[in-house]
Amino acid sequence: MLRSAFRVSHYSRVAIAIGVVVLGLAILERVLPAQGTGSSPSAQSPDVFTTAHRTVSDSVREFFGLREKPVQPIAYTHKVHLGNGMQCTDCHVGVDQGPDARIPSVNFCMTCHQVIATDKPEIKKLAAYRARGEDIPWQRVYGFEPSAHVKFNHAPHIRAGVDCSVCHGDMRQQTVAERKVDHTMGFCLNCHRQKNVSVDCVTCHF
Amino acid sequence: MSHQWGMAIDLDRCTGCEACVVACHAENNISTVGEEQAELRRAKHWIRVERYYEGEFPDVTVKFMPVFCQQCDAAPCEPVCPTFASYHTSEGLNGQVYNRCIGTRYCANACPYVVRYFNFYNPVWDKPLHLQLNPDVSVREVGVMEKCTFCVQRIKAGEIQAEAEKRELKDGAIQPACVQSCPTRAMVFGDLSDPESEVSRLAHSGRSTKLLGELGTRPKVNYLPRDSWHGNEIS
Amino acid sequence: MERRDFLKISAVAGATAALEGCGNPDHQLIRFVPEEDLLPGIATWKPSICTLCPAGCGLLVRVMQGEAEVIRNGQLGLLKMGLAKKLEGNPAHPINQGKLCPRGQAGLQVTYHPDRIKAPLARNGPRGSGQFREVSWDDAIKQLVSQLSDLQTVKPAGGLAIVTSPLRGQKKTIVSAFAAAFKNSMPMEFAFFDDGVLRAANGASFGHSLPPTVDLGQSNYVISFGADFLGTWNSPVAQSLAFGHMRKGRPGVRGKFVQFEPRISQTGASADEWIPVQPGAEGILALGLAHVIIAEKLRSASAAGHAGSLIEGWSQGLPDYAPEKIAAQTGVKSETITRIAREAAAHDPAVALIGDAATAQTNGLFNALAVNALNALLGSVGKPGGVTFSPSSNLKESNLSLQALASQINSGAAGVKVLLLYNANPVFGTPAAWGVRAALDKIPFIASFGSFIDDSSALADLILPDHSSLESWLDDAPVSGSAKTVVSVAPPAMNPLHNTRSMPDVLLGVAHQLGGDLARSLPWKTYDEAIQASFTALYKEKGSETAKDADEFWKTAQDQGGWWSSEEVKAVTAGGSSAASPKTAAPQFDGDPSEYRFHFLPFASQLFYDGSLAHLPWMQEAPDPLSTVMWGTWIEINPRTAEKLGVNQGDLVEVASQHGKLQAPALIAPGIAPDVVAMPVGQGHENFTRYASGRGANPISILSPVSVEGTGSLAWAATRVKLSRAGKGKLILFGGSLSEASPELKHR
Repeated sequence: MLRSAFRVSHYSRVAIAIGVVVLGLAILERVLPAQGTGSSPSAQSPDVFTTAHRTVSDSVREFFGLREKPVQPIAYTHKVHLGNGMQCTDCHVGVDQGPDARIPSVNFCMTCHQVIATDKPEIKKLAAYRARGEDIPWQRVYGFEPSAHVKFNHAPHIRAGVDCSVCHGDMRQQTVAERKVDHTMGFCLNCHRQKNVSVDCVTCHF
Repeated sequence: MSHQWGMAIDLDRCTGCEACVVACHAENNISTVGEEQAELRRAKHWIRVERYYEGEFPDVTVKFMPVFCQQCDAAPCEPVCPTFASYHTSEGLNGQVYNRCIGTRYCANACPYVVRYFNFYNPVWDKPLHLQLNPDVSVREVGVMEKCTFCVQRIKAGEIQAEAEKRELKDGAIQPACVQSCPTRAMVFGDLSDPESEVSRLAHSGRSTKLLGELGTRPKVNYLPRDSWHGNEIS
Repeated sequence: MERRDFLKISAVAGATAALEGCGNPDHQLIRFVPEEDLLPGIATWKPSICTLCPAGCGLLVRVMQGEAEVIRNGQLGLLKMGLAKKLEGNPAHPINQGKLCPRGQAGLQVTYHPDRIKAPLARNGPRGSGQFREVSWDDAIKQLVSQLSDLQTVKPAGGLAIVTSPLRGQKKTIVSAFAAAFKNSMPMEFAFFDDGVLRAANGASFGHSLPPTVDLGQSNYVISFGADFLGTWNSPVAQSLAFGHMRKGRPGVRGKFVQFEPRISQTGASADEWIPVQPGAEGILALGLAHVIIAEKLRSASAAGHAGSLIEGWSQGLPDYAPEKIAAQTGVKSETITRIAREAAAHDPAVALIGDAATAQTNGLFNALAVNALNALLGSVGKPGGVTFSPSSNLKESNLSLQALASQINSGAAGVKVLLLYNANPVFGTPAAWGVRAALDKIPFIASFGSFIDDSSALADLILPDHSSLESWLDDAPVSGSAKTVVSVAPPAMNPLHNTRSMPDVLLGVAHQLGGDLARSLPWKTYDEAIQASFTALYKEKGSETAKDADEFWKTAQDQGGWWSSEEVKAVTAGGSSAASPKTAAPQFDGDPSEYRFHFLPFASQLFYDGSLAHLPWMQEAPDPLSTVMWGTWIEINPRTAEKLGVNQGDLVEVASQHGKLQAPALIAPGIAPDVVAMPVGQGHENFTRYASGRGANPISILSPVSVEGTGSLAWAATRVKLSRAGKGKLILFGGSLSEASPELKHR
């Protein structure tokens, strides 16, 4: 395998080397400390907000769009809740009014769960969070890399009658939410083209 | 016919106060670069107020002119971008697609109005200044060009709202941050394809001129120069 | 293998090699349960009030959910809360009608400033060392109460000084009551750019001790004597709105604007004619115009009524003010004086304004009275297109001046034991010659309610940090900018970020702990109770077409940002006082002209105002409108003068008065008289957050301690200085220099 690689011409090898160096620099640049305003803090400090990544690995991960599987603090199950007759919008309020589908706070969960299924271990975890005055640190499942600069707005999609399952899969088959649907740009464009909706870049990227 | 956004600036009203400059920073998440970078002319004032001094003491006059991306219909920045990050939208804006931008800076080089700004470093906000950031606008990272977008986020929000309420967009309903703040009402934003709009009326008023129009960029900003006093006659 | 595969493999291999551990979340901070029920991504707009200058514009604050790092029960964590994201003018508010100036826009950075004081502080080292330690609110209030109750028991009672910015609304009520409870206490409202001279003049000429409200929008001819009315003077947004209307808001009619001043200001730059005048000669010039109008029988002298009678020689037609006689003294050609006078008289309504340096000369009161007489002569007082007065009844009581207080403390004549500081920076905002810094050092206990460590609060023994204005209940009664009665009110637009408390709430709490008459005079537990009480009184007085009772009136007022009358109130302006009006027409300057050859002209910065906004990074980076300077300061010098001195642009210049010296880089400015140099107020803070500390120089420090005759106000434009080159300096300009020949604007 290696032998055939070395049969590549001298100039190609130089080109490959340059490509790798450029790639490395591009990644590194996103980690470089930034220029501050009155002070010159580094990207690692908790005192500044910056687009710089904390580590090289973070930068590489963003560059290749690698995201870990989210690990949720509580084993919430959509199957059970939807099976009991709840609707998506009972919890994900606001999805037809604005850009975001809100994940409710622990207070909302406890309106039911202070009496329902209180013996289950996951519900006990829920109650413990509330007792400590803490909200549940849900990990994001769907979303876009910051460098994709996507400003997705739920409301026009809901108003246009796009069902939640089109982009998020059939949640009645899922317990904890998983990334069943891959939100590549092609996925969005296919539907936009089918429905004859704008595919202008600034429709989503601004 | 889709909207064709444009602006009119009445220089007889503009007093150079720079409310537009600060409003733009607040609305569009423009980071402060700091003293060192400002010295290297890297401050990112998407809209700036130019002032021109004429004459010698005691006969001195000063003229102000707010300058920002002219959203040219024949924009010199569009053909030079190797990745189509700078392109013309269907509503007549010059769109800057940050995720496409690879930072060649050819667009800034080509722009005769010098209204394109580059992020030489990752922007930094000393916490908690970042809490002010507008969630409706991207935060640009290092290596990306940025410039005035005519507050495209407000245009989008206005259009979506009008669609949701099943009504037409009223002239003047959408105001970019600069237009909204201007204390003398010197700035007007609207649809140039609508002959009844305020901006169309001003564009065809006979006072309207274009900045560097002779270069053939076909800018969408109409400047109405400062007028002079003619006694009490119709001016 | 294929080259393509090789590249893919090497890229992935390289990437994997660079990866460290996986799944390491950035934030290990806990999340607090939200205290508000908000929908992310959806904005609500809440009314508020801008507090950054005396105009009192109404705001609408865009509030959206965000995540802030806060401390709850001593633990740091993340909290989803409503955050102010953008400030805009409130379209319904009569003062600014939806518009906002650059400073108002930057107000957002006050709330989110990284150097805000986050909890009460007690001094923990020598005074002024900047060493503080955090203390609990209970401890802080206990300490303040004990200091104040000691004062109540000392006989003779007194020794309390309270220095605040000029206050209005219920804050003024509360602070005044506080001061009244301590005998011989000295409440003091301090601002560098204060309107004392204008109030005195308007009280004398027209019976309204208020700054003017000018109906520029209907005017056909506007003459301004040095007032930066489009930038920083009086009510800039209201005036700018009206100016736009005057220019282009009336089809077929365009008003003319003439500005007389020694240095072209941002306002002067918009004039149809900018005419330089000798510093301090504005009043003489105004009377010159009046002379022409009377002499040519364009108006009759008696038209000026009481305002005219205050001017010596008025009824004789002002013989000493003929244009030929005053041309040299004013620096304005007699033909120009005659022409302007004729134009003004022929283009009714015509109105004159005066402010800034023209009222900050030793003859500032005389200048203002002269302009008042001119207005009365032109017939513009109380008429559309002219000068009127807000129906607000905010009469300022006569103040002990800070200069007098400092000198009494320094000489030992007065014994101040406790100083309370709120929203004022007297160490920065007073000439060094007044000795305020030394006086403060002699005061045993200083408590500050400020949100920032600045030149004055750095000397405090106890800091009880206030909320920012967006986190506070606010009320206001603007004193100019509208002829309607306006009373503003706003609940907090967002919850507090830090462990701060509203200053009036703290004072009310302290008052109740001190008990006695003080507690009885302040019967409210919290500030919003006090504001509601004032609105109930307002409802009883004014009634309402829409609200059926006081509660509904109160609720509606909060929703819309205040209450205002539907009609404009016509001001009655016939009367006035006959207080001794100053006779001295000519200005006096401090410093021998043969040695101190230049007039020193400090001016309000468009961005920093009086220096109180220098800590905001947007203001440091925004280019100054006329000079485009960022992150620095400068001294403006006429090109011929600079040539003679051998000074180039950017050179460091030493400016020395009889009372101090400073250094600043030179900016060659065509629009300034050859014997005048000018410098913006705002930089030169020794101590004012990371963005402004140790930056530039403070022109106030070298000013001469002279007063405006007939008032206690500082004549801050009456200092003379000498200049010398002091080496190389640095000017950061966003635009080019001012002295390049500017090409014709490239328009087709």
